[in-house]
Amino acid sequence: MARVIRSTVIDAPVEAVWDVIRDFNGHDRWHPAVAASQIERARPADCVGCVRNFRLESGETLREQLLTLSDLEQTFSYCLLDTEVPLFNYVAHVRLYPVTDGDRTMWEWESRFDTPKGREDELADLVANGVYVAGFDAIAAHMGIADA
Amino acid sequence: MARVYVSSVINAPAQQVWERVRDFNGLPKWHPRIRDSRIEDALPSDKVGCIRNFSLQNGDNLREQLLGLSDYDMFCTYAILESPMPLSDYIATLRLTPVTEGERCFIEWSAEFSCAPEDENDLVEGIGSNVFQGGFDALKRHFGG
Repeated sequence: MARVIRSTVIDAPVEAVWDVIRDFNGHDRWHPAVAASQIERARPADCVGCVRNFRLESGETLREQLLTLSDLEQTFSYCLLDTEVPLFNYVAHVRLYPVTDGDRTMWEWESRFDTPKGREDELADLVANGVYVAGFDAIAAHMGIADA
Repeated sequence: MARVYVSSVINAPAQQVWERVRDFNGLPKWHPRIRDSRIEDALPSDKVGCIRNFSLQNGDNLREQLLGLSDYDMFCTYAILESPMPLSDYIATLRLTPVTEGERCFIEWSAEFSCAPEDENDLVEGIGSNVFQGGFDALKRHFGG
């Protein structure tokens, strides 16, 4: 099983970053890899158990289910249900921590998953850099701030 | 329960910062408010359960007991046994988390304790600014930012 973890510091208060990323259906507005997204069955995007159905810019379609959402701990987790990308048993966790010194945000994004034999490094790199680090940069750009 | 939470970012890998703060008897080496420290009963300072007996620059004396220490998760938890502060049931944790983007780490210092309601604001402010943030500022100076 592969494990990927990436973290960064964003120069904005934790409430402001959380306000953007807590929307489970909002990633098509800020993540460069996501072309379009919708929540199935017209459920609210903060309803635990809801499924987002989205298409990547590269054309693949994915379905992910919200497993946890906490406004208190500023964290959410989700798993991949169906995908044209060969990631199996994929569960990811996103968590924000306040940096009280300077009113900034520490952002951690991690996951575990299985891959077809021999493709572990390639797919771990895709998740780590193509999804997580690209997401960090995109949020900073979306919010009009530089990485701290 | 009163609660204090202070966090910062140090411009050095977590492992390097951990080497500086993991020694339960090492406060005088890195924290400017601590004058001297010893471990009671000549125990090793990484023996969980050991007690550090230390003095502040102003002469106040404290005794604290190590409750938990993890080199894997890089945290240390301890309780105050005796201090001049009007509080009880004080338990604190100092924790480091690596930041993968950039040569830096995230540091958190938190505490919970009981006290009289009229003392709470002063205690939370004093511990948060002087002890916790004061320690972070010293680490930031040492590691250059």
